[in-house]
Amino acid sequence: MAVKLNQSEQVLLETLQKTGADKLAADFAKVGLPTRRNEAYHYSDLKMLLGDVPALTTGAISTSALLLNIEGAYRILIVNGEVQISDEPPAGMVVSTSKGGVVEPENDIIAKLNSALTKETLNIDLQGSLETIIHIDRRYEGEASHINDGVELYILDNSNATIIETFSGSNEAHLSNSASKVILGKDAKVTHIMVDLSGDRVRHLQSVQYELNESALLHSLIIHKGSALARTQLFAKFIGENAHADFAGLILGNNEQHSDISINIEHNVANTTSSENYKSVVLDRAKAIFQGKILVAKDAQKTDAAMKHQGLMLSDDAQILVKPELEIYADDVICGHGATCGQIDEDSLFYLMSRGIEREQAKSMLIRAFLAELFDEVKIEALKEALISVADEWLEA
Amino acid sequence: MSNMLEVKNLHVKVEDKEILKGVNLTIPKGETHAVMGRNGSGKSTLSYVMAGKEGYEITKGEILLDGENILELEPNERAVKGLFLAFQYPIEIPGVATMTFLKAAMNAQRKARGEEELLTPDFMREVKSAAKMLEIDSAMLKRALNVGFSGGEKKRAEILQMALLKPKMCVFDETDSGLDIDALKIVSEGVNALRDANRSMLVITHYQRLLNYIVPDVVHVFSNGRIVKSGDKSLALELEKHGYAQYDEST
Repeated sequence: MAVKLNQSEQVLLETLQKTGADKLAADFAKVGLPTRRNEAYHYSDLKMLLGDVPALTTGAISTSALLLNIEGAYRILIVNGEVQISDEPPAGMVVSTSKGGVVEPENDIIAKLNSALTKETLNIDLQGSLETIIHIDRRYEGEASHINDGVELYILDNSNATIIETFSGSNEAHLSNSASKVILGKDAKVTHIMVDLSGDRVRHLQSVQYELNESALLHSLIIHKGSALARTQLFAKFIGENAHADFAGLILGNNEQHSDISINIEHNVANTTSSENYKSVVLDRAKAIFQGKILVAKDAQKTDAAMKHQGLMLSDDAQILVKPELEIYADDVICGHGATCGQIDEDSLFYLMSRGIEREQAKSMLIRAFLAELFDEVKIEALKEALISVADEWLEA
Repeated sequence: MSNMLEVKNLHVKVEDKEILKGVNLTIPKGETHAVMGRNGSGKSTLSYVMAGKEGYEITKGEILLDGENILELEPNERAVKGLFLAFQYPIEIPGVATMTFLKAAMNAQRKARGEEELLTPDFMREVKSAAKMLEIDSAMLKRALNVGFSGGEKKRAEILQMALLKPKMCVFDETDSGLDIDALKIVSEGVNALRDANRSMLVITHYQRLLNYIVPDVVHVFSNGRIVKSGDKSLALELEKHGYAQYDEST
C-alpha cells in the first residue's frame, strides 16, 4: 500500500519523473521519504524534517567566499553539481567526469535519489605518493536550490593520498544531496575528511561509501558545523584482509540545528580492524545524533572494532541521541562500544578560573581540550590547523 | 592597611550541614601562618571558600583580601586580586597543554591589571627560570596539564604557577600530602624563596613535618569548623606530641 505523499515528497516524485528515473519514481511513490519507522532514520524523520524542496538546479557561478583555505592544496570546485577544473592536477592524479551518479549503498532512498539526480560525477584516480592535499570544494550557490552531486575517488594499490571535501555556499534554503565514494586499493593509505560549513538555512544530506581492499589504511573524519539539517551516512566495507580504518567525526551544534552522523561498518573478511571515535558538542536547542552500526560477517574472524561516542552538553535544552549497534556473526572477534555524555567538568573549570582565567575562556579551553584528540589524529600540520580553526570559529561565535 | 587576609566569623554550609562554624583568622602582610587540624575538620573547605569554589553556602561572615570583601567575586577575579590556592589534588586536564595554560593564566592576570600580553620569548624565559628553581624537567612542561604527573610533580607544578603569577596571598592546601622528603624539600625551598614583606602565606596541613621547612610566624589549631587556639611555632610541636584530642570537645 502506498503512503500518502506530503508536498516535499510530491515535488521529489515529480523531479524524478521529469528526469526520467521511472523505476525509482515508481518505488518512491510507494514509500516516500524515510520516517521514524525506518530504523536508520529513527531520530531524523526526513518526511517531517526536510521541508520545501526547491527546483532542481545544475551549474552556477561560485559567489561566496572560500571558507576553508588549506595551504598548498590542489582545489577542484563543484558548483551546484557542475565540476569546474581550472588548474593542472598534480602528478599522479587523473581527473575526469562521468554522467550520472555513482553511489548507491544498500537500499537507501537518499543515496538512490542522489544517484538518479546527479548529472555529473567527478572521478579522481590517484596513484603514487601524493604530497599535495586534494581539496574538493563543493558549493551550493545562488538562490535556494535542490542540488545533487557526486565524487568518486579511487586510490590505487600502494598509493597514499589526503583528501578534504568541504561543503559551503550561499546561505539560502538549499537542499543538497551529495555523495562520495572512496575505493582504497591494496596497501593504499588515505585520509579523507569532510567538513560541512554550509549556512544555517541549508539542508545537507551526504552519503559516503568506502571500500577497503587488502592492507588498506583509512582515516575518515566527518565534521558537521553548518546547516539547519545535516545528515551524513557512512557505509564502509572491508573486502580485503589486514585492512584498518579509523573512523572519526564531530558534530558542533547550536541554535535549532539537527545534525546526524550515522555509520555502517561492515567487516566482511577476516583480520580487519577499525576504531570509531565520534564526538558531539551541543548548545542552545541543538540536537546531535550518532548512530553506529558494526557488522561482523560469519567469516570475519579476528575482527577487532572499538566504537565510542562522547557528548558534551552545553545547555539544558540541547539533546544528544546515541545508538550503537553491533551485529556479530563470527565467534572469534573483539568488538565493543561505549558512550559518555556530560557537561563541562566543574572541578576543571574551577581550577582554571582559580588561576585568573575568565569563565568563558576557561570553558573554551576545556571544549578545545575535549576536541583535541580528534584533531591530533590529523598528521598534516596545515590541515590540522585549518580544522582547528573551524572549531575555534564555532567556539567564538 | 596592614592585614592581608581577614576571615571574620565565617559560617559555611554544604548541603545543609554546617562545616565552618565561625572562623576568625587574621594574617598581617608578610606573615606566614599555619592552620593545623585533623582530616575532616573543615580545613579544605576553608581554602575552597576563599578561592571561590561553587557548592558552598556562606551563611554568615566575610573574607577580606587586602581590605576588600571577596566573597561575591568569581574565582578568577579573586586570583587577579592576588589570591592563589595551591590545590591538595591538582586537577588533571587532558588536552590542555601545560604551557598554553600557564600563558593563558599569566595573560589573564596581566589583562586584568591593564598590561600588555606577554611576548613568547619573555614568557619562555620566566617559565624556564622558575622551572629550574623547582627542578622541573622541561619534558614535564610539554605534557598536558597535570596529566601523568607524579604526586610530587603536581605539587611542584603548583608552586611553579605560584612563582609565575606572583600572588600576594598564597594558600597551600595540604601541599605536603603525597610528597616524599626530597620533593618536600624542593617544594618548601620554592615556597620560602617567594616569602617577602608584601606576600602572606597560609599553610594548611595536618602534619607538623611541613612546618620544619616552611616555618610559620603563627600556628592555629583548627577543630570542628573553627580555630580553637593560636600560638607561635611551638604550638605545632605540642600538637605533634599530644594530638588533636584535647581540642575535640569544643563546639
